[in-house]
Amino acid sequence: MITLRNITKTYKKGEKGEVIALQDISLEVVKGEFVFIVGPSGSGKSTFMKLLTHEEQPDAGEVYVAGKNLGTLKPWKVPLLRREIGYVFQDFKLLPNKNVSENVAFALEVIGKPRLVINKRVPEVLDLVGLAEKAEAMPNELSGGQQQRVSIARAFVNAPRIMLCDEPTGNLDPSTSVGIMKLLDRINRTGTTVVMATHDQHIVDSMRRRVVELENGVIVRDQSRGVYGYAG
Amino acid sequence: MPARWRYILQEAVVGLRRNLLMTAAVILSVAVSLTLLGASLLLRDQVQLATDEWSGKIEVSIFLCDGRQCPDISSEQQAGLEEALRGDPLVADVFYESKADAYERFKERFKNQEELLATVTPDALPASFRVKLEDPEQFAVVASRFDAWPGVEEIIDQREVLQEVFRVIDLVQLGAIVIAVIQLIAASVLIANTIRVAAFARRDQVAIMKLVGASNWYIRLPFVLEGVLGGLVGAVVAWSLLLIGVPWVTSRLAERISFTPFIGLQEAVFVAPWLFLTGVLIAAISSVISLRRFLDV
Repeated sequence: MITLRNITKTYKKGEKGEVIALQDISLEVVKGEFVFIVGPSGSGKSTFMKLLTHEEQPDAGEVYVAGKNLGTLKPWKVPLLRREIGYVFQDFKLLPNKNVSENVAFALEVIGKPRLVINKRVPEVLDLVGLAEKAEAMPNELSGGQQQRVSIARAFVNAPRIMLCDEPTGNLDPSTSVGIMKLLDRINRTGTTVVMATHDQHIVDSMRRRVVELENGVIVRDQSRGVYGYAG
Repeated sequence: MPARWRYILQEAVVGLRRNLLMTAAVILSVAVSLTLLGASLLLRDQVQLATDEWSGKIEVSIFLCDGRQCPDISSEQQAGLEEALRGDPLVADVFYESKADAYERFKERFKNQEELLATVTPDALPASFRVKLEDPEQFAVVASRFDAWPGVEEIIDQREVLQEVFRVIDLVQLGAIVIAVIQLIAASVLIANTIRVAAFARRDQVAIMKLVGASNWYIRLPFVLEGVLGGLVGAVVAWSLLLIGVPWVTSRLAERISFTPFIGLQEAVFVAPWLFLTGVLIAAISSVISLRRFLDV
């Protein structure tokens, strides 16, 4: 589902020269996996995620997502790629002027799905995330956890093959975070591949999934059923 | 209307309303430039109308007596004149226009001025020989050769009548076009800026659209449409100004100047496609270009 082959990415940093964000990384994620990407700030986590979304291009190596080589992808095909990936961010990124239902429907409207499809899928996915009764609420009336659920609902409403989550629990308290992770776990069980970058030690430890640890642009650990730090 | 088209149109209208002042500036700017453009096109129409069909083809008009200022020309005199003309080495070609022809041509030229037409009878216009010279500069020589010919009422140097006038009109037209072009450039810069401001104001929404996989055109279209709508309304304003202004001006002029026909409402109506085409094209192009960098995926 996701393959990185000998990826190197460097950023130019003024007169100081270059910063190597990622150095000769290779990684493979199979369909249906749940992978945590962990590591301190500056380890290359965000660069890693940006490569997967085509926001950045590697200086060397190839990135394959959902079978497509991102290096040779034509510009007009990028939106099509993005439709197969659901994105969830730390800051929710909801439209403040639209209610919950409209926010989720937005994802389908702008890719041209017919009203019939939208009216069917949106309630379904709101049900999945547990926000069916809040369909008419505005984002500013919701708690952080609820807003993140809406965000996840929007990401998932088009049945993407991959969910990419960048610190989804970053703005949430521990108990709310657990609820979010349960939701992502449920989504993973439908066969959706989930790749999640996070700082949240507790969550990683409690879920015991594959853990890929980055440090200074290099993969230092790739452990199935791993924990956040080194455990014994 | 399918959901996506409704979205695009809605977004465009909302965007225009939100920034009413900038929208007004765009419309004004486009209207001014298109009015000038339309005016210069109509000026060209006017010149073409005022230029009688013989202009440019011939240099000498020889009007034949028809009983008013001198006795009617006889057929032998006319035949003799024609033969002499054709045989003259300075003459390149000779055309004959009968009184009936002259009347028909007059009716066609002055079709917008009914009062003038009413005063002219079919018999009022003289017949003429229209002469093309080998060397246009030789008018004086040719004229002196034939003005004493029996049956010739008057010889007119066709070029002299209109040359000065046309020179002035050409300059005016050039001036109008130069100003129109400058204004069009100003209008397109204004549109580009307005669109960029609109896109920036909605950058959050645009970011989410990109993330969710909306196609580039779907993201761009509402903004481009905003620009185009502004250009369209500007064109409508320009057209209205011309529709009202042109007939008013030309009817005033026709009261004082009776030797030329004037354009009227009809010509002002037909200049519409040019105005709308230019307005829409300029708006669309500046919108698309201004969005290019902003919406890079």
